[in-house]
Amino acid sequence: MRRHGVDHQLRLPIFLLVSIGFTSPLLPAKDPTDDTVGDKVDFSTQIAPLLRTHCIRCHEPENRQGDLSLSNSADLLANDGVIPGNPDQSLLLKLVRTEDGSKPSMPKQGPPLSKDETDLLARWIAEGAEWPNGIEIHSTRTSSDSWWAYQPLAPMPMTPPGASLTTRQKDQNHADPLHNAQLVDHYIRSKLSTRSLKGSPRADRQALIRRLHFDLHGLPPAPELVRAFINDPDPNAYAKLVDQLLRSPHYGERFTRHWLDLAHYADTHGFERDQRRDNAWRYRDYVIDSFNEDKPYNLFLQEQIAGDVLWPQNQASIIATGFLTAGPWDHVGHIETKSPKLRRAARSLDLDDMATQVMTSTLAMTVNCARCHDHKLDPISQREYYQLRAVFSAIKRDDRVISDSALSQYEQQKEAIISKRDTIDYAIGKLEGQGLNLADVVGGGNGFGTGTYRDGIDTRSAKVQTRDFGKLGNVVTNKFVASPFEFIDGVFVPEGHDGDAKIPVTSTGITITGIPTTSGDAWDMIRNGPVASQHSTELSGTDFTQGGHSLLGLHANAGITFDLKAIRSASNWNELRFQTKLGYFGADDGSFADAWIFLDGEKIFTQRQLKRSMGLQTVDLRIPDSAHFLTLIATDGGNGYGMDQIGFGDPKLKPAIHNALAQGDHRELEILRQKRVSLTKRLEELGDPPRFYGPVTVATAPVVQVLERGDAESPTGTPLPPAAMSALKMLNPSLGSLTTPEAERRVALAKWITSDDNPLTARVIVNRIWQWHFGRGLVATSSDFGAGGELPSHPELLDWLANLLIQQQWSLKSLHRVILLSETYQQKSNFAPDNPACKVDADNRLLWRQNPRRIEAEAIRDSVLLVSGKLNRQRGGPGFEDFDYQDAYAPIYTYITADQPDLWRRSIYRYIVRTTPDRFLTTLDCPDPANLTARRETTTTPLQSLTLYNNEFMLRQAGYFAERIEQDFPRNTVQQVQRAFELALARSATERELQIATKLVQQQGLFLLCRSLMNSNEFVYVD
Amino acid sequence: MRCSRDFDFREQTVMMRHARPSSDRISGQRPTGTSRRDFLNTAAGGFGGLALSTMLSQEADGQSHHLATAKRVIQIFCPGGMSQVDTFDYKPELQKRNGTPFDPGGELQFFASKPGDCRGSHWKFRQHGESGLWMSDLFPQLSQCIDDMSFIYSMHSKTALHGPACFMMNTGFTLPGFPSMGSWVTYGLGSEAENLPSFVVLPDPGGLPPGGIINWGSGFLPATHQATTLDTSNPDQPIADLFPPSDFPKATPAADRDGLTFLNSLNKIHQQSRTGNTELDARIKAYELAARLQLSAPEVTDLTDETAQTRTVYGLDHPDTRSFGRQCLLARRLVEKGVRFVQIYCGAENTTARKIRPNWDSHEDLPRDHGYWGNVLDTGAAALLKDLKQRGLLNDTLVICTTEFGRQPASQGGEALGRDHNAGAFTAWMAGGGIRGGYGFGATDELGFKAVQSPTYSYDLHATALHLLGIDHTRLAFYHNGINRRLTDVHGNVLRDLLR
Repeated sequence: MRRHGVDHQLRLPIFLLVSIGFTSPLLPAKDPTDDTVGDKVDFSTQIAPLLRTHCIRCHEPENRQGDLSLSNSADLLANDGVIPGNPDQSLLLKLVRTEDGSKPSMPKQGPPLSKDETDLLARWIAEGAEWPNGIEIHSTRTSSDSWWAYQPLAPMPMTPPGASLTTRQKDQNHADPLHNAQLVDHYIRSKLSTRSLKGSPRADRQALIRRLHFDLHGLPPAPELVRAFINDPDPNAYAKLVDQLLRSPHYGERFTRHWLDLAHYADTHGFERDQRRDNAWRYRDYVIDSFNEDKPYNLFLQEQIAGDVLWPQNQASIIATGFLTAGPWDHVGHIETKSPKLRRAARSLDLDDMATQVMTSTLAMTVNCARCHDHKLDPISQREYYQLRAVFSAIKRDDRVISDSALSQYEQQKEAIISKRDTIDYAIGKLEGQGLNLADVVGGGNGFGTGTYRDGIDTRSAKVQTRDFGKLGNVVTNKFVASPFEFIDGVFVPEGHDGDAKIPVTSTGITITGIPTTSGDAWDMIRNGPVASQHSTELSGTDFTQGGHSLLGLHANAGITFDLKAIRSASNWNELRFQTKLGYFGADDGSFADAWIFLDGEKIFTQRQLKRSMGLQTVDLRIPDSAHFLTLIATDGGNGYGMDQIGFGDPKLKPAIHNALAQGDHRELEILRQKRVSLTKRLEELGDPPRFYGPVTVATAPVVQVLERGDAESPTGTPLPPAAMSALKMLNPSLGSLTTPEAERRVALAKWITSDDNPLTARVIVNRIWQWHFGRGLVATSSDFGAGGELPSHPELLDWLANLLIQQQWSLKSLHRVILLSETYQQKSNFAPDNPACKVDADNRLLWRQNPRRIEAEAIRDSVLLVSGKLNRQRGGPGFEDFDYQDAYAPIYTYITADQPDLWRRSIYRYIVRTTPDRFLTTLDCPDPANLTARRETTTTPLQSLTLYNNEFMLRQAGYFAERIEQDFPRNTVQQVQRAFELALARSATERELQIATKLVQQQGLFLLCRSLMNSNEFVYVD
Repeated sequence: MRCSRDFDFREQTVMMRHARPSSDRISGQRPTGTSRRDFLNTAAGGFGGLALSTMLSQEADGQSHHLATAKRVIQIFCPGGMSQVDTFDYKPELQKRNGTPFDPGGELQFFASKPGDCRGSHWKFRQHGESGLWMSDLFPQLSQCIDDMSFIYSMHSKTALHGPACFMMNTGFTLPGFPSMGSWVTYGLGSEAENLPSFVVLPDPGGLPPGGIINWGSGFLPATHQATTLDTSNPDQPIADLFPPSDFPKATPAADRDGLTFLNSLNKIHQQSRTGNTELDARIKAYELAARLQLSAPEVTDLTDETAQTRTVYGLDHPDTRSFGRQCLLARRLVEKGVRFVQIYCGAENTTARKIRPNWDSHEDLPRDHGYWGNVLDTGAAALLKDLKQRGLLNDTLVICTTEFGRQPASQGGEALGRDHNAGAFTAWMAGGGIRGGYGFGATDELGFKAVQSPTYSYDLHATALHLLGIDHTRLAFYHNGINRRLTDVHGNVLRDLLR
């Protein structure tokens, strides 16, 4: 029954969720460890919620409908509302219960009480209708500022009350982790003993090393480490292991995943367009580094909120502010729409996301509940919420340079290299006869590299356009427009009227015929590079935007004529060759287009129905010295112009007569080429520009007002100065005045949050760390310490740990040590269903055992890679992309099977796409990065079974796993089986397992054993 | 979960890939005793498991919030923004003012452009059925079903942006990360299907809708309530990873079977010393259920047993109507098998230029794009309604057709053939499952620009749909980050006028 009641609450709206409102908030509302089930009906857990749910809204002192209040026992007893011991005569029951199934007269609003509920009421009345003294029920319970979480940390006793420690223990240094771990155990045991319970025995070393490895690294231990640990005679072996694991860089990788769950980090913006956010990874690396170097947690938070202001000389501190902007961002709502109203709405939600993220992750305060009205449960007013937003109102999300000096240094280095490379290219070109590049000419250049990449010429006007266009409006077909560029005669949009149209192609009036009917539509510009939304810049293995290649992008329908006479007179060349690699750069979906080349109006080359699958066409045409005009045309092939992206790769005009190279020139050419290779390498090593995705701010914060009902169109009241929450009485909530610059506002908030006097910050992180080691926090709702959340199961321990953290200079690794060295942590998780503790504390809130846990989606993937021997341990840098990326209005991310080393990195280095999550991981409960995830949920579904059993990544990895073992132990099945068990499960096979596994391998091969092991319960569960 | 403990994979013809399973295999070898509600939710623990089991026990005790008239839902989503004034919302005044300046009084929430002149419907409107409701000639077949349909003319959205508006229509929130209606419904009611997922999505074969798969995400609800997408164009692998890839030589059906048998033994040995952890048992069962899914999913997507006439009616013979028609037919087959919620997309995301827009987003040529998609929707949806009715399924199957927002009464584009976004008004319709037929609710102004009579957001539609399913929308909630979240946020009224 009780169980049912708890469940039921889950589906009730919030004002009904909280079980009871007391006039004294110091009385616990709902002690999660209080599982005492007596036969007698319990008022506070059973009756009060029922009255609150169904009655109080209309019958309380403030709202006495029918002149009736049910708020306290006196009210209830008046007028025979309840006659103790006599349910049938009690008015209350008569009103809410009918015998014939008709609708009872009460409650008037809302559904009638269920039979269970009326039975419960009847029992309670029959048992005497006990109503504890002094308790009143109110319709909405708000936690007031006397709520437990807002109180100062309880002073830290040197030894907890009742702890019986030996003199030696008392003398020990309080920084000694082992000593502190014993105090943790003391808190846990004393609570257990109040229920006559005992903890479970220590798990064996095999279980412990596996538990520690998954907890601290998210990876299974290597068999050699397991063996060494089990056989280590040192009594301190366990503590040594903890230290060793905390020192490994895998520790930071593991805990960064937890932190990024709170920051809802991803590498794309999200929303409709979901474009790339290529510089976001620097923040991810910052978090990894911070964990690994055990950065004090208060400093860690200060950096993430205001590091750029506090330590402007320190690059890491600046990158840290990527925290503020890690969440989603709506390009269409902020930029693309022309509606100011829509922009304001998007902006308002953007600020809500920032404020919510900061306060939820650091303080477990659900401030977002106060966006539309005062917080229904906690003492957070709507005004305070908007005051908090005043801290962030000057922040926009964007790419940001880490520092001007770093960027200018980077750019200088890059320019120097590029300039050297250009000089070399010029020299190579001279020796090789490089020729004049028509793509460069289209980009406004001289044909030798002075043009601007991706500049385009408008086929309607011959004007230069720098931004991307889509479908062109106001197109007039077959109209020649002269170009001001020296080497370009002009442009036009061809429409052939079934070959009949005379299309003018030169400024001198030359026309062509024989072009088929086209749609007459045009898309984007003729470009030095790909056209807008081009499917790919790659064809037949060559990316024409890389490695010195060039591309003249010509989307159908378009034509361009070059002035050969002008080129000749500038180059002193006479007879020419036109060389290019022609191709269809649109998608391989059956679309095609036609490409044409004319010389003075005479067709000299055509390729009809050119498709992507046809690859590159090598064009090499001789151009007599009498020719004046060279015309390139793309038409749509008669099936519409969509996707018809024709590209002329490396389009060059060269002198026809090639002078043979002298011997010395050959040597020089070789040297130049070597130099070019080394310069290219240096350029690669220089990497991405020092930019990160972070807050871009204006110095003066825009005015913030309360938005009525959260509506961005309804600002109301006076402008608000920045402030934090007044519920924390020990701190001054003011963060400045209306004129405080934005930078100082963030500093003030960072200091307010990380003040040693702020009790929430330490409590919240201590609780999160506890959750990451036990699967659940001492406060189960680790991102809600308010009245909507749960109460702490061990409030004294929580405060003691929080004090300890502050005392140990906010060192998280010290905190890990204390928790991990406790016997509480090291307990067995296995238990028999008839263990008496199951009856008293089935949910293990009192920690009479450790919790077995299924490892998270990313840990499963990483473990598979480690076990197969394919894990690529490369750390840091841009994320790996296990998808095909296609640029489009809404870019398309198509996942591929990760089957190459650069995709075998740890999941923390994944390029995370918001709107197209990786299905493999999502199926395994990887959460949506749109949400702040406080705790990973675990589900068990058949789709997970299918994914682990049949997914190509899993199958290939199982294959590699088998190959690895076969190499280590060729032809010895027993050894192979043992090795497979050791690698996958960190233990040897039992005799029975050995028997069935050997049989399987002999009949079906090693692959199947490996595949099965990676699917086994033991592989994904940690004891 | 009372699946037979001795379930033996060797007796099951599982992990079939090469031969299409015949139906007798399923009926002959279906493990007995499995609760229908347990499929895809094997008591994983955590909030989701608890909440669901509670709900189910309520259902079992006849204690759902109230009596349900609908057992299942088919939702057709037309992304891109369907024009109300060219389809369902008859506006003679707009026709009269055709070509005159459109002046909505500075209130216009335009997305891409300043408005052109008033532009009457591109299709003629007529009255249909006994109800005499109006529908345009874009839907010659659907108009025959008009007496089974209820229209909400006064829908509006909080945003005129595709992504957020799609999210709102699907989840009640403009932001990503909230559970879709299908997830909420399965969270509330569980599954009726023995061998199929409870929430199935059939995306447009042309691609994902604006906002992508978040549109049918389960948000913060447990992943158990995620939608399963069926790829109808791939009969061999209609569900991702249903079978190993066909080009993976080592994963033969025989090997699959032996591997599972071994895995089962291994898990049983592991479980012996961990009897307290019920999740382990659930995971063993999940592999058994997966094996059953391998039989049932290809069977339900195999349309070869449908008659030629059925195929014709659903438009499977015509290249334009074939894919959406197949989705509609499949939806019927799925609900027949007890699938709780099927969502079908009639249109994809705006991609690079195509001859016809890949969804209803008709900025430059509405006759062309609505003409194309109208025919697609008309054929599939009309076939679906008639088929459901003929089979007696329409009584307890709720069919919903929505878009994310409407379009402007004014024209857009050089040739005045397009229409811009309009968050102020659009039409949604519902049929079956306790919905009154031949009824129109609410109204827009005389030009169809703004919902003026009973304007209603997604909340009321969602509240009404949940109501028909026996769920009180105010009580279907899930705690997340400090708030007990609902599909209807803090809003929503059941539109009782629409109920039969």
